[in-house]
Amino acid sequence: MKMREATPEERKQFYSEEWNKRELPDFILHTLSLREFGFDLDGTGPSHRYNQFMTVEKLMEYLQNKAPYSVFASVALYDQPSMRKGWMKSELAFDIDAKDLPLKSCGCTSGNVCERCIDEARRIAMEFAETMSTDLGLRNIVFSYSGRGFHIRVIDDAIMTLEQTERTQVVEYVTGGVIPTDVTMALGYSQVFRERLARTFKGLDEQRLSKARGLRKSVIQKLLAEKERALGAIRRGRLDELSALGGLGPKTFRQFLDFLVRLNSECTDGKVTIDTKRILRLPSSLHSGVSMKCMLVRDMERFKLEDAIPKFVRERES
Amino acid sequence: MIAPEYVATLDPFGDEAKKLVEASPPLDSMPQEIVDRAIARVKWSSREMVVESDIEAVRAEVLSFYLMCQGVAAVSYPYSREARLISDMTKNTIKYRMYDLFKRGHGNLCLEVVKRSIKLVELEGGDGIKLGSIEIPREDLYKIRDRRLAEDGIETIDDRLLPQYLPRYAVRWTDLAPLLRHRRAELTKFYLVNGRAVITPRDLWDLFSAFIAVRTEEYVTSVYERFSDVGAPPKRLTEVGEHISSLLPPELELRERFARVPGGKLRPESFPPCVKIAMGGVGSGVRNYAITVLLTSFLSYARVSPSGRVANRIGDFIKDISVVRDEIAAPIFEAAERCKPPFFKDQPQEKANVYYHLGFGMTTEPRLDGSGKSKWYRCPNCSKIAMSAAPLCDPDEFCRNRKIKNPLTYYFRRLSEQRTGAGG
Repeated sequence: MKMREATPEERKQFYSEEWNKRELPDFILHTLSLREFGFDLDGTGPSHRYNQFMTVEKLMEYLQNKAPYSVFASVALYDQPSMRKGWMKSELAFDIDAKDLPLKSCGCTSGNVCERCIDEARRIAMEFAETMSTDLGLRNIVFSYSGRGFHIRVIDDAIMTLEQTERTQVVEYVTGGVIPTDVTMALGYSQVFRERLARTFKGLDEQRLSKARGLRKSVIQKLLAEKERALGAIRRGRLDELSALGGLGPKTFRQFLDFLVRLNSECTDGKVTIDTKRILRLPSSLHSGVSMKCMLVRDMERFKLEDAIPKFVRERES
Repeated sequence: MIAPEYVATLDPFGDEAKKLVEASPPLDSMPQEIVDRAIARVKWSSREMVVESDIEAVRAEVLSFYLMCQGVAAVSYPYSREARLISDMTKNTIKYRMYDLFKRGHGNLCLEVVKRSIKLVELEGGDGIKLGSIEIPREDLYKIRDRRLAEDGIETIDDRLLPQYLPRYAVRWTDLAPLLRHRRAELTKFYLVNGRAVITPRDLWDLFSAFIAVRTEEYVTSVYERFSDVGAPPKRLTEVGEHISSLLPPELELRERFARVPGGKLRPESFPPCVKIAMGGVGSGVRNYAITVLLTSFLSYARVSPSGRVANRIGDFIKDISVVRDEIAAPIFEAAERCKPPFFKDQPQEKANVYYHLGFGMTTEPRLDGSGKSKWYRCPNCSKIAMSAAPLCDPDEFCRNRKIKNPLTYYFRRLSEQRTGAGG
């Protein structure tokens, strides 16, 4: 699918003919007047901040009049959103952007996306949500397609008042961003870490591995040749076997693990999660850079990119 | 038989402890043995931490705890090295007492105290322990036990000690947020299932004592803010504080000082909103207050971070007057220039007033030996700023969430949280 930029006329058409307030998720609709809205009116960045809409009709009016390039709403709820004052609480948000994934099996160059890497982002988002549900006991987890990837937004009351440090720790947990003391336990962080490590290791190729400090070319080739065995060792929590496979000394192995963990962490933009005042693309709005509709995804298993194609794109392609 | 008041030795912030303090004379008139105990606490070894079960021993324990905290607040600042030292020592003390009580068969007393602060679920024994719908594999429970034993360096264990190492409770991880915030606990180190961390009694004592440590630091902060309101702290308290300060381990002092403010420079990005507003220059209505009252006191105390003795003279804490001229006065003068209209243009005499508030008397040429000629003013509390110069007070999320009462608390707390790994 070709993703090209929307013209001002197409934006106008989208907001006049296609945008529907019923596509706004309930969790946003019910707190609309407590959120800060931000707009990028012409593709130069979201410089129009500090907007508040008391009703969805007022928002609609604005969208139809301005046909903005991008629309954002805060993850935070405020007493006075138009001044970003009186912070009440913030969703816990994860941004999994296909264009920024550290490992891609497609040939997309950095900054670009294709259906394949968007699907990879989808699977990562599902993994993260699974961990938040089974380990962290979070129940109200919603997904949205953001145009180039996915947002996870957690709206459980218990986590909405968490601050930056706690959110940082959640990111570390969910991404597998810390090497645990015990990797062999069946459940808990030990399991999360093994799964993340296996996913990352699976995605490595020679070029990427060559960036790991201290790994000789022969070791890289050996690890890649024995990839399935290595993956088996990781999944069983037998890191000693992984180390032996590559013939790595303790120091080099530690460096190698650090390298993998860094890649784990890069699957999401941690800054988004810890920023309690972040604005995220509004589900239902248009991502004009790629002419795709940002939308709430009720069933991630069955998400189809075609669902996010706006009418004007279908028309221009037919 | 353990007296009901004994729980005050485990929770100095509980009602029992508060009652004991209320029924005692003021802390600044404590007898010498309490003063000695307040100082000795920071060097206690394990057996000294145990308190006899009689009311007088408990009273002495509680009073010496508060005296220690107030002494530190009198001679240092929120999240100072001294505050960290006493909070860490308090944590070790409470933890040891819990271990000791558990070992002597008073585990229920510990549990009763802990349950006031932490909501617990007791795991049912036997096969198939479940949290929600998820069953915890038996092997994992053994691994939790073994990991904890390894952490404590225990290779052989007897029946008396073993129960402390068996996973027995589950706590909601979100209830541990204050500990995560202060990096006194790490999420990835917990065994989390369905939103709860599976822990052993040992872990529970650790978590509880960490909670008390966090509250100790908060208490020191609140006393510091009170002193900012009432002026100089009582002499007895400063003596205790100075003594404790002199007991700081040198390596802790070096490490903390280095970590806190590399090169001793101010970190404007961590300034509170009121100071940022004042630094940006303000209008004629609040210029005087912003420059001569707020910025002089804030920047000087933030830069010098006086600790170890009561802060009477800035000269006691610096060796070079250039610190005052270049790092404190210079940014104040720049802020004054940014005022509308520029402050010193209309009121040139106020330049000397800046140095006056820093304790150098009315001068525009401060010298180190002139420090103490006038009073070195403390930073006003937020309530005073809001009353005297309302436009300066524009609290942000950090002010509100941390219930900040003094601009310096904001600054030192921000630095402390950055030091302990707050993300961004």
